[in-house]
Amino acid sequence: MLVNFTPPSASEYIRVLPEILLTVGGTILMIAEGLAGERHRRGLAPMALAFLLLALGGAVVAGMDPGPAFNNMLTVDGYATFFRLLVLIVGILSVLISGSYLTRENADSADYYALILFSLCGQSILASANELIMVFIGLEISSIATYVLAGFLRNDKRNNEAAIKYFLLGSFATAFLLYGVGWIYGVTGTTNLQEIHRFLTSSESVYSPLLVSACAAMMFVGFAFKVSAAPFQGWAPDVYQGAPAPVSAFMTAAPKAAAFAVFLRVYSIAFSGLTERWQPILWVSAMATMVIGNFAALRQDNIKRMLAYSSVAHAGYVMVAVVAHSEAGVAAAMFYLASYAFMNLGAFAIVTHYVGKGERYVGIDDMAGYARQQPLIAALFTWFLLSLIGVPLTGGFFGKFYVFKSAIDSNLIWLTVLGLLNSAVAAYYYLRIIVVMYFHEPTNETGAAGPVPAGVRLALIGSAIGVFVLGVMPSAVLEFANRSAMLSR
Amino acid sequence: MTLLDIVLFLPLVAFIVILALPKTLSRTLALATSMGIFIVSLGLLAPFLGKPTSAVSFETNLIWIQSPAIRYHISLDGLGLWLLLLSTMLTPLCVLISWNYITDRVKEYYAFLLLLEFGVIGVFVSMDLFLFYVFWEVTLVPMYFLIGIWGHDRRIYATVKFFLYTMAGSVLMLAAILYLYSRAGTFDYPMILQLLSSGRLQLTAAEQLPLFLAFFIAFAIKVPLFPLHTWLPDAHVEAPTAGSVMLASVMLKMGTYGIVRFCLPMFGNAAHQCAPVIIALAIIGIIYGALVALVQPNMKKLVAYSSVSHLGFVVLGIFTFTQQGMDGAVYQMLNHGISTGALFMLVGFLYERNHSLEIKSYGGVANVAPVLSVIFMVTTLASIGLPVLNNFVGEFLVLQGAAIVSWKYAALAGLGVIFSACYMLWLYQRAFFGEAGEGVRHHITDINKRELLAIAPLVILMVWMGTGTSLFLKPITAVNAQILEQSKINVEYQVKAPPAPSAEPAPATTAAVVEVARAR
Amino acid sequence: MLDTIFFYVFALLTIGGAIATITRRSAMHSALSLIVSLLGVAGLYLLQKAEFLFAVQIVLYIGGIMVLFLFVIMLVNLDQAAKERQFNRQWLLGLVASVLVGAQMVWMLNSAGVLSLPAAVPAPAATGPGNIEALADLLFREYLLPFEVASLLLLVAIVGSVMMAKKTS
Repeated sequence: MLVNFTPPSASEYIRVLPEILLTVGGTILMIAEGLAGERHRRGLAPMALAFLLLALGGAVVAGMDPGPAFNNMLTVDGYATFFRLLVLIVGILSVLISGSYLTRENADSADYYALILFSLCGQSILASANELIMVFIGLEISSIATYVLAGFLRNDKRNNEAAIKYFLLGSFATAFLLYGVGWIYGVTGTTNLQEIHRFLTSSESVYSPLLVSACAAMMFVGFAFKVSAAPFQGWAPDVYQGAPAPVSAFMTAAPKAAAFAVFLRVYSIAFSGLTERWQPILWVSAMATMVIGNFAALRQDNIKRMLAYSSVAHAGYVMVAVVAHSEAGVAAAMFYLASYAFMNLGAFAIVTHYVGKGERYVGIDDMAGYARQQPLIAALFTWFLLSLIGVPLTGGFFGKFYVFKSAIDSNLIWLTVLGLLNSAVAAYYYLRIIVVMYFHEPTNETGAAGPVPAGVRLALIGSAIGVFVLGVMPSAVLEFANRSAMLSR
Repeated sequence: MTLLDIVLFLPLVAFIVILALPKTLSRTLALATSMGIFIVSLGLLAPFLGKPTSAVSFETNLIWIQSPAIRYHISLDGLGLWLLLLSTMLTPLCVLISWNYITDRVKEYYAFLLLLEFGVIGVFVSMDLFLFYVFWEVTLVPMYFLIGIWGHDRRIYATVKFFLYTMAGSVLMLAAILYLYSRAGTFDYPMILQLLSSGRLQLTAAEQLPLFLAFFIAFAIKVPLFPLHTWLPDAHVEAPTAGSVMLASVMLKMGTYGIVRFCLPMFGNAAHQCAPVIIALAIIGIIYGALVALVQPNMKKLVAYSSVSHLGFVVLGIFTFTQQGMDGAVYQMLNHGISTGALFMLVGFLYERNHSLEIKSYGGVANVAPVLSVIFMVTTLASIGLPVLNNFVGEFLVLQGAAIVSWKYAALAGLGVIFSACYMLWLYQRAFFGEAGEGVRHHITDINKRELLAIAPLVILMVWMGTGTSLFLKPITAVNAQILEQSKINVEYQVKAPPAPSAEPAPATTAAVVEVARAR
Repeated sequence: MLDTIFFYVFALLTIGGAIATITRRSAMHSALSLIVSLLGVAGLYLLQKAEFLFAVQIVLYIGGIMVLFLFVIMLVNLDQAAKERQFNRQWLLGLVASVLVGAQMVWMLNSAGVLSLPAAVPAPAATGPGNIEALADLLFREYLLPFEVASLLLLVAIVGSVMMAKKTS
């Protein structure tokens, strides 16, 4: 039997280069801590950064030679490369803001960075997965690592609550996904996305569309949970609020982007023949996600919880692009996720710094008069918030613009109108932070965060540039997204 | 690169420079740059002076974003010209009136003022719907901060209300722009007009009405038209003087400008269809604004409500669809910018001295500040439409246009003119005549040189625009004639196009209809 | 015929064990019930002629993992936990929800025609390479990558559990 066994070729290994580098990096980090001892913990963050940069290079190299790898388990195309780069950049920014936070909380540890690297590895797999089994494994790697990260500060009750809630509900959602995968295998006899598509659209195959819809629905449960789309968004505020701030920053950007990546890939390849069945359901879900996210965020006083609900609302906007079910929609979702990653990480970077030891200052009112203490940081925060509102010349605006344009092109006029009105509602709660920072005077009760650490500063500059570039010169990124949006069926 | 590009981007450059240099320089820098911008912008007059031309000048048409094609397409015609010059003129004046008043966060203040100028100029020159929307929104941010940081007691409420109202309107407009793009395949405004007039793009009645309303509501909130006006008094009262001036003189005009520029040519049918309702709202606004102004104890609020009334005239003029009405409306935009701007400045001068906006804390100001009182008198007279002063021309033309449509409109609107005389003269009598009280005698001093410098150009313009009307009106008339024509072509369609239920009418017929329409 | 009887016996074991697992108050009883349930699954594997999986199920799950479970339960004082307030008060709601979902599933499977499929064709008797070889073939060839990546999944899980279990500083 071994006669016709051909080992994977070198180019196939190159196509999984980022995953290899991330795994190796995470492992080395854990070993290095053991070898170097407790005193050299300052070197951990730079080391993790070095591995992430290597992986970023790896993703570029892998992207230059697109094609399938390992029996079509993965496929490295422009789409995969886009999301790989995106999650790695999010990883870099998250590591940048984590260093000072962990030192402040006395929780420096290689495990933290290793878990981030492993989680990114899972997301990188998700970005390129072409097989439902790979989807499942990638999702689990990414999720388990984030479950642990959410509860990283073990002395903190909120952390523990976040972790356990995320873990229990997350496992349940993944079980649904796995059940759906099992059924689809039962119906089609394959877990490969293209083959599923071929089976479902071939005139020769015999199957019950109802059963396939049920599979799609069960997988929707899994994906909707991971992207925090209604009605499976309930965990998001508690977890994002409870988790350490840099972890929340990471979670709202990277795993979400990767989950959307695979969501889009599965639905626009495997289930593209059943559009009229799942589109109305996603329509309702998108609408509900936007409404719940925005209206709940209106009433929050805790800045992390508000950003959590805002993250739900933004997932709703991306869902609009998913509903559009077109290449333009895919490209719009890609662009949106990229711009959301930057503006959200920027906002969270400031929150990470501002909350202080033990995350004491998490109330929106605690930011009173921040513009007087740190004019530059307050200005940057304003820039990110304006982007989250969707004011022109920011990345957030173009994101919304492309999303709703793809929706109009797909004739989803009501969804567009209601979605845009929603974004006007959203302006209110983002403005509240600006109001507090600029128009209120600081009191004794408010926090007085010291100078911004170098890592946070770097992350802020990076995010601000990202938001600016996507807002003023979006052509390059959009071109890339447009070219990659054509997913081979 | 044309002169217009330079005028557009200079404020942005100034914004960055002010932010970059230390704050001790901000004030001087802002004055110097905004003066410079104004002087440069005067060069834009060259192709228009005295020529009744509807042609556009200073056109720049570049690709900004490849796909979907968004163009950096700007140009200037008679409609945008005066509004642009008004903006560039008012900005240095605003710097002057803020000179001593603003002591807190000086750098940010002047930076925002110039950013606002950038946005406003952009609105008046954009010829790409997307670009227009971008500038439209960009103006929101600096105004939000101007009111929110440097405003009075209830500034936060006012500024958030202002932001949300405008935002709610403009997202509807964005949806409409996106829809238009999906139908026309371009954001380029002249191109869309061309597609519409050649019949290659036809909007059914069912499409036109929602599109028109989406655009119109966004603009009407900004104007503000009667039921949507509630943000305006709050924003005006709470804003610092320069903020009120920019808001009243320039930003409200963005709304009326938008209606003339976009709503009429693109959605002529729907505009005609809605005209009776809109005219009714405009007239209600005229009378309601005047009546509310009559009972205001607060000077700034009084001027704010008078704005509601005056802008009712502008909307009324536009929706008469007559040459006179339109000319009057556009002229009235400028007049209101000048006279109300001046009124806000004067109220601001009084506030700086006496720290009160209540009319009852004044009285007898004429005794202690004669020059100020004279200027206030001239402005008051201009505002109520005395002949020889600017408002008279605009109001007269609007009423004439309204009378062509129906004498009832003209009569009701004329009532507004009478009311405006009542509230303004009554204000003047209460604040300036009579015995000077304790506070007035102690605090009120006469106008100083800096203030005189700020207000003098406006007073001169009031007289100039009231007497040398033709100079200003000529480029406006030509453009208005063209816009009227465009909105009519559309109407012809509706009447003559065969009632094809779903299929597009044959191009041949369409072209023929256009030819007929053109021939008239 | 015999197969059918066995199938129902094993299915009953699986489900009964699972229900007992979540309803027993004592952790020890739960763990033992879980073993019964896993045993039922193992039987089902055997019926499907998946001898290797059957063996793995017995050796790894029942023999290895469950024994570890029992050790842990015996080492850690769980009697205390059994007395504390439990968070499964919503059992009525849960029951209604699961009955509803179950009914929906049955309805759907029925209308999809799955329930009335012809009797399953017995799996082909193992000919040629045995079950294990076929599995290895698939696992190390076609599914090489998932197999390898699964080890990363385990690594992450180990790191996570070690972190969670580590003494707090």
